[in-house]
Amino acid sequence: MHSLGRILGALVASAVVSVAHADTIKVGVIGPMSGPYALFGQNFKWGIDAWVAENGDTVGDHKVEFIFRDEESPDPAKSKALAQELIVKDRVQYLAGTYFTPNAMAAAPLLAQGKVPLVVMNAATSSIVEKSPYIVRTSFTMWQNTVPAAKVAKDMGSDKVAIAVSDYGPGHDARDAFKATFEEMGGEVVEEVNMPLSTTDFGPIMQRIKDSGADTIFTFLPSGPPTLAFVKAYIDNGLKADGIKLLSTGDVVTEPDLPAIGEAGLGILSTYHYAVSHDSPENAAFLEAMKTVGAKPGEVTMTAVAAYDGARLIYEMIEATDGKQDPDTAIEAVKGMSWASPRGPVSIDPQTRHIKQNVYLREVAKEGDTFINKETQTFEAQPDWGLAE
Amino acid sequence: MTAIGTTTAAGAPRLPGWVRYEVTAFAVVTALGLIGYLVFPFDLALLTRIIAVTFLVLSLDLVTGYAGVVTLGQAAIFGVAAYAVGNACLAGITDPVMLLGVGIIAGALMGLVSGVLISRFSALPQLVISIAFGQLVAALANKLAQFTGGSDGLAGFAPSAVLGVFEFDIFGRTSFGFSLVVLAVVLALLLRFVQSPFGLMCRGIRDDALRARMIGTAVYPRLIVMYGVSGAVAGVGGALSAINVGVVSLHSVSFEMSAEALVMLVVGGAGHLLGAVFGSILFQIFGHFVGSTNPFHWMTIVGGTLILITLFAPKGLYSAFASAMAKFRKSRVSQ
Repeated sequence: MHSLGRILGALVASAVVSVAHADTIKVGVIGPMSGPYALFGQNFKWGIDAWVAENGDTVGDHKVEFIFRDEESPDPAKSKALAQELIVKDRVQYLAGTYFTPNAMAAAPLLAQGKVPLVVMNAATSSIVEKSPYIVRTSFTMWQNTVPAAKVAKDMGSDKVAIAVSDYGPGHDARDAFKATFEEMGGEVVEEVNMPLSTTDFGPIMQRIKDSGADTIFTFLPSGPPTLAFVKAYIDNGLKADGIKLLSTGDVVTEPDLPAIGEAGLGILSTYHYAVSHDSPENAAFLEAMKTVGAKPGEVTMTAVAAYDGARLIYEMIEATDGKQDPDTAIEAVKGMSWASPRGPVSIDPQTRHIKQNVYLREVAKEGDTFINKETQTFEAQPDWGLAE
Repeated sequence: MTAIGTTTAAGAPRLPGWVRYEVTAFAVVTALGLIGYLVFPFDLALLTRIIAVTFLVLSLDLVTGYAGVVTLGQAAIFGVAAYAVGNACLAGITDPVMLLGVGIIAGALMGLVSGVLISRFSALPQLVISIAFGQLVAALANKLAQFTGGSDGLAGFAPSAVLGVFEFDIFGRTSFGFSLVVLAVVLALLLRFVQSPFGLMCRGIRDDALRARMIGTAVYPRLIVMYGVSGAVAGVGGALSAINVGVVSLHSVSFEMSAEALVMLVVGGAGHLLGAVFGSILFQIFGHFVGSTNPFHWMTIVGGTLILITLFAPKGLYSAFASAMAKFRKSRVSQ
């Protein structure tokens, strides 16, 4: 046991006393920097870097420093520890990021005690913003993007829809949002399938949809290998040839996945708040800035835009509080704020603190050698329908 | 195995010092905790999380290290206890000590159920059944969203002050203190438990189940009871996790969690309770600091280190440390 003393001595010696710089405002960013979702965490960083590249790293006399932490999976215990450490040890004035819903939920109770606003840059369950008055969200919710999809289905003349969603939270949100909206407009949902999250065998599901007599499929799957398999099964089982239309949210056809889906994906319809091909001067400038910070054009996703706009909010909050830690003033300053985002005109809903934005109907198309989501219709200023109810 | 020989030999003059080991362990854990508190006052959330996971590793050590049951489904018990505590808290039981009781009961029940299933078999079928059991529970947790919140996690519950006095604070002082006391008490009890005739018999079963059967031991019932105890310990961890975090997610019942616990146990040294504790602490602190320094490539560094440890200390760090100490003493004596 006497060697224990030595170990303890070493522990004490290795303790680091952190020195706070008076005029540096720290922002803690929690995102998936490693593991299967690393691309989206990387996009958080690129989006923030792009904003800093365009606007400098100071607001007034205050230097802004972003500190990144890794949440590789939905693990609220870890995220809460990270958020707590960022608040009490690194003394961040703002928190940002959170890709996964449970992780954002875990951080919420800390915000009031720590006097720290949180800018959610992805986590898409509606109720997150209700967990604390200090949460603002710049991403999207499943309801926000799915309600327009139901309207599209009705406009296309669909009467009978089969819903096939992945069997987890966002999938259930998409299913409920579509069903509620579509049935309210007089449509009929003839089949509902909750698909296991990791399955890639969609043959039986396609058969069920075929037997149900549906004229349109609405689907949601998280992007990845299942998406590709789903689209292939849709074609191979002859549903496409039979004229059954496929409609989804943009999560199924994120730009980095399009080359893998390939020609088979041409014509897939989706509703989403951002397409990399969005035609506007703001988006062109954004993509240019993304290039200068190291993002390859094929790797840009919606999380970069959410982070870019999130950084804008943080700069606005720092300016409004003149660098002081005052979360009430900070949040008040961004309520109702509106600006031209790379995704189109957006604003922060003063009631919900969620972003109000255009949702676009897009069609997978080929432009030269690259696959894009071509925007064909705009649903203007959509609120989060999940909270608007 | 040599493990039995060394541990019983260490407690040699048995009667006078029969609680010495336990009291020492209690003191060491408390001292380590206090040092952690003083040295890392801003990392209490991390230390608290480490303690919760330590219970999972300890519970795994009881069935794997002490009873020889290889399982990759232990997190199912941990997670179900955490969900039970979350639901109890939502239903109005907000006292942390009561919630701890809920976690222990839920964990013990789950432990008995998984014991009945998993310890029925041995070797590969056992491993497969444990994985299947874990996956089944994880799938149910996803499906029964009204009790678990599905992939959004179960959130929105807040336990009241510990003993009506200590409110949970942002620095995590209450969480940490509460968890540390529970760890010290449980560890001392477990050290006693594994030295009991029952504990020794379980080790006998681990070393040679056939021989144990030949001398008239009812192997299967003993393993089930061991599983119940192990489940109660995992339940303590699940309860602490739910109480301290305020959110329970699918991660707590996941395969990754079970696998990680097994890695921590192997790194620390299976078959030693202190090995489980050290493995859990070292693995998580190392992961945390590497992860903070380099959030983009930390997993590679952790993976590489794990390979090195298993190459050079295949029986775990605790055994390596213990044998190095023994050698050191011997060389001193011979000089």
